[in-house]
Amino acid sequence: MYKKSSAYILIIPLIIAFCILIGWPLINVVKNSFYEATFLNPAQKTFTGWRNYTWLFTFKYPTPNISYFVAAFSRSLFWVACSVLIKVIIGLLAAVLLNSEYLYGKKIYRSLLIIPWAIPWAMAAMMWAWTLNGQFGIINSILLNLHIIEQPVSFLSTNASAFITTFIVDAWVGLPFMVIMLISGLQSIPDSLYEAADLDGAGDIRKFFRITIPMIKPVLLTVSLLSMVWTFNSFDIIWVLTQGGPARATETLPIAIYNTSFRMIRLGGIGKASAMTIMQVMVVTIISVFYIKTMQESEPK
Amino acid sequence: MKKYILVIFLVLISTSMIFSAETLSVLMPIGGGYTIEDQEAIAKEFEKENPNVKIEMEFVGWDNLWNKIVTSIGSGSAPDVMYIASRWIPSLVDMGALTPLDKYISEEKKAMYYDSVWDSVQYKDNYWGVVRAMSTKAFIYNKDLFEKHDVEVPTNWEELLEAAKKLHNPKFDVYGIGMAGKRFVSTVTQFLHYLFANDGAIVDSEGNAIINNENGIEALEFYNTLANYAQPGMLEWKREDLIKLFETGRVAMYIDHYHNAKTAREKGINVGLFPIPKGPKGTQPYSTAIVTDCISISAQTDKKELAVEFLNYMTTFEKQKEWDLKLGFVPPMIKEKDLPEFQTELWQPYIKAIEYGKSQSKGVMDWTGTEQAILDAIQQVLLEQGSAQEALDSTAYIINLLQ
Repeated sequence: MYKKSSAYILIIPLIIAFCILIGWPLINVVKNSFYEATFLNPAQKTFTGWRNYTWLFTFKYPTPNISYFVAAFSRSLFWVACSVLIKVIIGLLAAVLLNSEYLYGKKIYRSLLIIPWAIPWAMAAMMWAWTLNGQFGIINSILLNLHIIEQPVSFLSTNASAFITTFIVDAWVGLPFMVIMLISGLQSIPDSLYEAADLDGAGDIRKFFRITIPMIKPVLLTVSLLSMVWTFNSFDIIWVLTQGGPARATETLPIAIYNTSFRMIRLGGIGKASAMTIMQVMVVTIISVFYIKTMQESEPK
Repeated sequence: MKKYILVIFLVLISTSMIFSAETLSVLMPIGGGYTIEDQEAIAKEFEKENPNVKIEMEFVGWDNLWNKIVTSIGSGSAPDVMYIASRWIPSLVDMGALTPLDKYISEEKKAMYYDSVWDSVQYKDNYWGVVRAMSTKAFIYNKDLFEKHDVEVPTNWEELLEAAKKLHNPKFDVYGIGMAGKRFVSTVTQFLHYLFANDGAIVDSEGNAIINNENGIEALEFYNTLANYAQPGMLEWKREDLIKLFETGRVAMYIDHYHNAKTAREKGINVGLFPIPKGPKGTQPYSTAIVTDCISISAQTDKKELAVEFLNYMTTFEKQKEWDLKLGFVPPMIKEKDLPEFQTELWQPYIKAIEYGKSQSKGVMDWTGTEQAILDAIQQVLLEQGSAQEALDSTAYIINLLQ
């Protein structure tokens, strides 16, 4: 018979690690968000109360119509939604395909699939920067040879195309994780369910929506939640491809936070960047809580 | 027994020698021609001459150098000696991060460099670094293409635009001029060559933003007009990558460093050079933005004397000459220009440019913020999101907040 207290003793190391690695930095960020400070001299802090938070909505830059934070935040939301949607839809289709009994060489495809995930993100972005290049990029070369386009396309040189390109590259990097996790979800569905459906004369599409999707819903929600959190924090890909340009079209919240702390030392600083970070943490937490609730509801009672 | 005592004695002596060696931490960049081997070689030589000193060099890519400096200063662990871009000096000084070097710089040392070189490391009447690398720029052009289209070397903006028009042949993937538009520091410098050529400036002598005056607006409008004859998708190109277009014969001319002119020649391009011509409001015949990088000493160091000794060692005439020739930088020391190695046709335009060049960041208090504001203006105009006047007005507003 174990005492109840022994369970708490066993999780003490985890709690300590959590406090050191997550709790302490987070408390610091919260604390900093109420101070005016820069990285160059963090010892010299001035308490400013909520001023950093009001700054988020009053600092209109570079255009006078919208605040710097609100612009970056809404851009981030849209960017994350697009990237996660691609990852989920293509991830699901790819997982179903790779799990299909009619597909030969599944192991090879699955091994190849992991490559984008295994390459360091910054390297992957560098590779894409040249692949997409208007003059030397292979994509333009293929499209020109197939006579799909007449002129080379510069994917990263207009607002819309740069925005789309960056989230597609982000989806490319994040897709393998999604597929692998969904395959494991698919493999856990008992064959008997499909066999019963076959006996009842259900078609493939019906089976997909009535058996596959409900059965992998918990996995799907979990991986899309993880993917959403990671995508919200995605920095390397945009940084290498566009540095937030052109004309700030791809300046998502992580890029804006970086710029506020390092590149706008006088206008921004750690305090304001911390306030931006806290806002992002809050939004991601709210979305996550909503997700987790949905997950709990979807679990069989 | 005696043997053991001897061994213990020797171990103690060698340990005490190790601990008595003074360690100097030095932060250096890599990339853009800077290699670990070249820089470590200097450290090794210094250690050889000063056996009690250990140089601990840390290397960071240029892209991350600013962040590294800022975070290490913030955490109180700044390296004793730092390689920095001179444009960062005002920001670093205002935060108390650097040691003023006036009392360590001898009159003899002062006389070795051009005045404009010292200007670039001066702020609030003090010197904050000793220049290690300097660059001026010139137009690199493809002589064969110029001859084929019967184009003369331009001497003013009108002729430059005409030349770009004549040479522009997108059907055959040949573009009149190579230009930069990517969100990157070198894009700002590329624009500054035109701004200075039209007698414009970022700020005036009192520190007020004047980038949006007539000269500035005309310069940005010209940059945008010239872009019509540049490679497509200019906004995805930074100056550092344009060499790839030039050495494959796809752009007829562009502004760049000496070492890329040399590279292109080695790759078989018939390279010619001409200085950046003046604009309609220009008072000097040519233009260039002078960019310098320097070696500074952290305010946090407790080894100032040793740091100065190492700094002086790195910047002797011999060492500087060796460095400039190896990396292809414009010589910052006056005497260097008379060396036979610099008398070549490829070197001369860059050396002559020193006399009419202007410091990239003169009077700018917060370079990183200013750089972002200028990039916004350039990209907005190139994307036709606003006129040059509107874009530069907003940039000037931001710069005034930063000053």
